[in-house]
Amino acid sequence: MSIIVGYVPSNVGEAAVAAAIQEAKLRDEQLLIVNSSREGSLVDKNTASEEDLARVLDTAVKAGVSAQVIESTYRDDLTEEFLGLADKHEVSLIVIGLRQRSQVGKFIMGSQAQRILLQAEHPVLAVKAP
Amino acid sequence: MDAKHARHDSTEKSLTSELTPEPQEAEALTPEELAAQWEAEAAEPAGPIANLLSSLVVLGLSIAGMALSVGLGLGTPSAPAAGMWPFVISLIAAVMAVAQIIVGRAGGRDGEKFSALSWYAAIGFATLILMVVLMPIIGFEIPSLLLCFVWMRWLGGERWRSATIYSILIVAAFYAIFIAALGTTIPRLF
Amino acid sequence: MEFFGPVLDGFNVVLDPTNLLYCLLGVVVGMLIGVLPGLGPAATIAILLPMTYGVEPVTAIIMLAGIFYGAQYGGTITSVLLRLPGEASSVVTVFDGYVMAKQGRAGAALGIAAIGSFFGATISIIGLTFLAPLVASFALDFGPPEYTALAMLGILLVATISGGTKIKAIIAAAVGLFLATIGRDGFTGAERFTFGNLSLADGIDFVPIAMGLFGLGEILYNLEERHRAANAPVKVSKVWPQRKDIKEASGAIGRGSVLGFFLGILPGGGATIASLASYAMEKKTAKDPSRFGKGAIEGVAGPESANNAAATSSFIPLLTLGIPANATMAIIFGALLIQGITPGPQLINDNPQLFWGVVNSMYIGNILLLIMSIPLIGVFVKILRVRAAILAPITALITMLGAYTIRNSMFDVLLVVLFGAIGYLMKKFGFEPGPLVLAFVLGSLLESNLRRSLLVLEGDPTGFFTRPISATLLVLFIFVAVWPVIKSGIEKRKAGSLASTIASEKEKENA
Repeated sequence: MSIIVGYVPSNVGEAAVAAAIQEAKLRDEQLLIVNSSREGSLVDKNTASEEDLARVLDTAVKAGVSAQVIESTYRDDLTEEFLGLADKHEVSLIVIGLRQRSQVGKFIMGSQAQRILLQAEHPVLAVKAP
Repeated sequence: MDAKHARHDSTEKSLTSELTPEPQEAEALTPEELAAQWEAEAAEPAGPIANLLSSLVVLGLSIAGMALSVGLGLGTPSAPAAGMWPFVISLIAAVMAVAQIIVGRAGGRDGEKFSALSWYAAIGFATLILMVVLMPIIGFEIPSLLLCFVWMRWLGGERWRSATIYSILIVAAFYAIFIAALGTTIPRLF
Repeated sequence: MEFFGPVLDGFNVVLDPTNLLYCLLGVVVGMLIGVLPGLGPAATIAILLPMTYGVEPVTAIIMLAGIFYGAQYGGTITSVLLRLPGEASSVVTVFDGYVMAKQGRAGAALGIAAIGSFFGATISIIGLTFLAPLVASFALDFGPPEYTALAMLGILLVATISGGTKIKAIIAAAVGLFLATIGRDGFTGAERFTFGNLSLADGIDFVPIAMGLFGLGEILYNLEERHRAANAPVKVSKVWPQRKDIKEASGAIGRGSVLGFFLGILPGGGATIASLASYAMEKKTAKDPSRFGKGAIEGVAGPESANNAAATSSFIPLLTLGIPANATMAIIFGALLIQGITPGPQLINDNPQLFWGVVNSMYIGNILLLIMSIPLIGVFVKILRVRAAILAPITALITMLGAYTIRNSMFDVLLVVLFGAIGYLMKKFGFEPGPLVLAFVLGSLLESNLRRSLLVLEGDPTGFFTRPISATLLVLFIFVAVWPVIKSGIEKRKAGSLASTIASEKEKENA
């Protein structure tokens, strides 16, 4: 069994990974760190750089957790992509970060986190940025 | 919705902590590695059948061109008639088409195979034709809105909310520029 | 002062506020499309052709030229930061530019590229100022046989030098020549291939062909091609290069500028070949060639200077001989024809305002680009976030509505859409649209000159070889035509150069 965590290079993402590492250590399971980037633009701030991924992986290894980074791409639906990966690896826990969003922002952009919480078929741990 | 599912084969590449301690070294940086990488990313060449077909189309068109040119009259080199020059061009095209059939019989490296994604271009073309048909009847606003929405939502993978908002903004901007500011006579509804 | 009088008058033309504004518009659009994925300069210029109807000829060409050389600056940004060459002419910049960015010297690479581009362009404009009148006065003696030979050579060179298969490029050129014959024959008055259709009697318009093949064709092609994962954002700090960097790069900038100027003049030459040649030259003349590919600043400075110098000097054959050197120049040629101006040796005397206005606008344009590309680099990096899904319908709508405004005719829009589909299919089957458009533009010039020469020479084709200039050009023509056969024989024994293979790959994608 393994734990999957969604990583984005922001303090919410870092908080999610930190929580996921603790959880993985506690349960003694493998950690899957997912960074999924969107197709279509040349640059996206949610795409993690090689350095970011290496650092996150290193933190996990230092904490004594066996970890793996998964880089994937999605076209329009991050939720579907992320939950698909969770199903594929038959995870025991999904860890995601939650960010503050105004009502208007949520209406326009939608909330991926909200959809993951509602649609996931696995237990979900939602973490807020400190 | 078909288009969306056809495209939903996410690519996945993993780095495992045990196997590669320093993942950033996986990047190709020398010109040779880069060339190999671009080569791998490039679309597959069109292949021998596409080559044969396209050459045959050219051959057919050039033979038709020659026949029509003969109909116009060739004249003599010192007093060429209207058909002389198009005849010469068609002859060159025909010879080249035959040469291409022979040279490219193994397929060659040019062109690109049609893929599932080629439907996107076909759908794009269909929306453009629809716009040409609808514009004189109901003005440019609604067809433009439709075109933007289809291209963003299904061909581009925007979510429906952002696709709707951007489509409306774009059409409003076009209305402001082409109708309000430039005063062009594009057929319009409002 | 006799020579410099018109040159200085040209500055008055440029400093006219409207022209300044269009120059700024051109370079900003050029830089944007250089940065953004999707459209290249040829496609953009084609799409914006309807805009040129309402303005003065000189203003229109100033803007179109600005798009062309502005794109050379913009293409560098994605090469250096993301290892994605925005334009074929920036392919070699990737090798050292991206490594420099990885080493934290992205600012130095971009800065030196901007400075090099500026110098390359400036040297080229000065060269253009002095060389163009010479070429034009030489070409004033050209008769129909010379023009025939020159046009044939120009078409053949563009066809053979473009990426992809040579035979297919020649077929495309032949199709272009054939399309140009549709309509009323200027000599006999006979209607050719009109099938009784009245709207075909005056021939097919250049604008729908260019907008369709280059513009919509590329937009449709991009619909299926843009599925590439995003990159992580890159931080650019300290865009001003250090004094040490400038010192190291100055030789490369000088060599690249001169090389680019000369390669740009040749028909079929231009920015891509110039950048490749400059990279090869820098590597060869360097004391320590092993530094190349590991972040050598000369590997960025040389090619970037060369491609801008070449982009500028490729205006020489267009403005002095009336022979476009590449596909983009063919579209600018078409834009001039729309305005009722036939580029050729007489342009510089008949229309000095236009000639020197356009040439001098390049000084201003390059200064604007230097100003934009160094301090405003952060803004352009932000633009990289724009998704292609949002840009594609905007460009499609600009094309459709623009096509309508030319003559308020839905038939034109339909033609553009149909040529768009043809352009897309050509790309898929490995035919370049460039030679077709170029040949179409030169078609009627070539035919009428050929027929006039045959009249002069009394139907004897060997007469071409009795005139020294046309003989030289035709010998060159035969050499270029036979060369690929000889070369493929040689190449079977040794593998082709790597850089040129990559560039031709990219050329295929971006053309």
